[in-house]
Amino acid sequence: MTLSTSNVDMERAQREQRERRMPGDAGRPLSQSRGVMRTARIVSTVLVALWFALPFLPLVLWSFANSWSAPDVLPMSVGTDGLTAAIANGAVAAFGDSLLLSLIVAAIATPVGAMAARALSRHGLPFGRLVSVLLFSPVLLPPFAAVLGINVVLLRAWVPPEIGVILVLVVVAIPYTTFSMLVAYAAYDDGFDEAARTLGATSRFALWRIHLPLIAPALARSAFLAFLVGWSDYLVTLVVGGGQLVTLPLIIASSASGIGNESSVAVLSLSAVIPPLILLGLVSRARNLNPGRQS
Amino acid sequence: MPIRNPFRRQPSTTARRRILPFLATAAVTAVALSACSAPTTAPRGPEFFDWSDVQVAADGQTVKLWMWGGDDQGNAYVDDVLAPAAAAQGVTLERVPIADTKDALNRVFTELQAGRTTDGAVDLVWINGDNFRTGKQADAWLCDWTGLLPNMAAVSDTDPLLTEDFGTPVDGCEAPWHKAQFSFVYNSATVPNPPTTIEGILEWAEANPGRFTYPAAPDFTGSAFLRSVLYSESGGHENVPSAYSDEAFDELSPALFDRLEALTPSLWREGSTYPATSEQLTKLYADGEIDMMMTYGPATLTALVENGTLPDTTRVLTVDDGTLGNASFFGIPSNSGNIAGAMVVANEALSVEQQVAKADPTVWGQFTVLDLDALSTADRALFEALPQSPVVPSFDVLSRNANPELSAEWVPALDEAWRTRIAAGQ
Repeated sequence: MTLSTSNVDMERAQREQRERRMPGDAGRPLSQSRGVMRTARIVSTVLVALWFALPFLPLVLWSFANSWSAPDVLPMSVGTDGLTAAIANGAVAAFGDSLLLSLIVAAIATPVGAMAARALSRHGLPFGRLVSVLLFSPVLLPPFAAVLGINVVLLRAWVPPEIGVILVLVVVAIPYTTFSMLVAYAAYDDGFDEAARTLGATSRFALWRIHLPLIAPALARSAFLAFLVGWSDYLVTLVVGGGQLVTLPLIIASSASGIGNESSVAVLSLSAVIPPLILLGLVSRARNLNPGRQS
Repeated sequence: MPIRNPFRRQPSTTARRRILPFLATAAVTAVALSACSAPTTAPRGPEFFDWSDVQVAADGQTVKLWMWGGDDQGNAYVDDVLAPAAAAQGVTLERVPIADTKDALNRVFTELQAGRTTDGAVDLVWINGDNFRTGKQADAWLCDWTGLLPNMAAVSDTDPLLTEDFGTPVDGCEAPWHKAQFSFVYNSATVPNPPTTIEGILEWAEANPGRFTYPAAPDFTGSAFLRSVLYSESGGHENVPSAYSDEAFDELSPALFDRLEALTPSLWREGSTYPATSEQLTKLYADGEIDMMMTYGPATLTALVENGTLPDTTRVLTVDDGTLGNASFFGIPSNSGNIAGAMVVANEALSVEQQVAKADPTVWGQFTVLDLDALSTADRALFEALPQSPVVPSFDVLSRNANPELSAEWVPALDEAWRTRIAAGQ
């Protein structure tokens, strides 16, 4: 008897745990549209999806087109010439360079952005407004002038080109990570941390077991933005990198500046689009990491 | 596999279009900056007594070759043929693909401005014309080094194509790599009786409205077309002084622009718009919108026909009055950290084996800079045994009556006049 009761209790506790809403969790819609509105909603969703997906159709077709000239609507012959040419052009190494660079940028810019946002979200920060303006200034400055100027400084300071690229890209990424974390901290309740501390948790324990799991979805989102900054950058890698880093955008730009390369450019472009899409899928599924869990 | 040379002026794709204004600014800024800072860093001469000195110093060096990367055949040649040959001599050759050769110059200028005069990231650049002149004015090139290269022995030292680069004396500041010949291209299926002179081409265009156009200046190919018509209207290249002067320009250019103005209504879309780049021109031709086009890189036509980008009835038109010719080169920035290695690569690229391999239309099809008469019979036989292209005639036919290029100052003057007289009058 007592055994079964405790089983029921445990099930209820587990259900509650599953249903417990935490900051960052998606809420339940207040109302669902019905009838005509529902149809309109579905139609508009499909249209928007098409609008995003259609530009990729020619890209996919070109990727597998060995030859395709007007006025043919579809490729005249299908094959993997584009893939072979892209690989011969160094696509694999460039993909690796791009991935490494973006991950490093995300790994640095995300914690920095989170710390900046946490400090800014506390009112009382001295010169808070000035700090905000400084943090966001990279978004406002004309990129080319800034990059060209900073490159002279980096060269004079004998900063290795690879380190220089990372430094500059981190600065470019910080406004994005800071802003996305500011939004998260605006909705964050410090009471969770305080409760943990009151119950005897050390500040380190509260950070790792309570705070970080609660802001994990926001961290994932801002890391994604920082990743994109590194992944899509052309200018900084070209100017500051000095040929030491040959990333995908560099290969795509140089390849696309010729003619007859359409299918290899399409393969390269697709390979540049896919990783962010996968990451976006992962990020959109991110939930808070079960705060308070004892290991 | 594009029809393009490394000295292109404009990046062409939509992806790059956003960056274009920035790059233009950068080029201007870099030139302006270098003008202030370059005189403090005099170009270093070669520090090597003889070639074996160079070979010893080159062993183990890694050379970064910055070259326009829009040509798959060119990329493959460097990666698969030239790089292994350099590796056999202890030099690692790495290609840095760029969308515009000016990117390499900007890098060098910035390094010089920052006082980095001995360890630059650019070791070797595929270059000619305007970019060479800009770099030379800023003292950005290493000079007097080509005389050390053993393989320069087979290069003629009186060939005007190789001693002057668009009117700028080469002065041992760049080593020749290959030659190019401006060529008109037509579809033999739709143009059964092609014209034989440049004036004849313009008359053909007027007789076949909408089937001809040319890239808008300052595209490299478009501006070469302006110079071709200038020669033709002036009664031959002999009548146009190579050195630019306002007097010569005022005397000769009106005939050119009057002729082009008369031609405009017969162009593709009545001349209301022009292809912005030679890639767009080639695309129009590939899609059958026009029947005749032009290129400064006929070497790559064979591959474009073979892979189906261009119709297989494509032929190069040889004209009696001859066409413009030029050469492209390897330049070593004065601040390169691997000068010896870069010299070894430039020397290797001039070897008979490399020049023969590069001239093969299935590899790259670039015309050799070697003086065939100076070669041994066996070496000459290698060039004669090269497969003939069904599209492009051999270089001696193509370069018959070759016209020298005008000095680089002519180019912006003609481009600007075209823009105000022809493009603005649409």
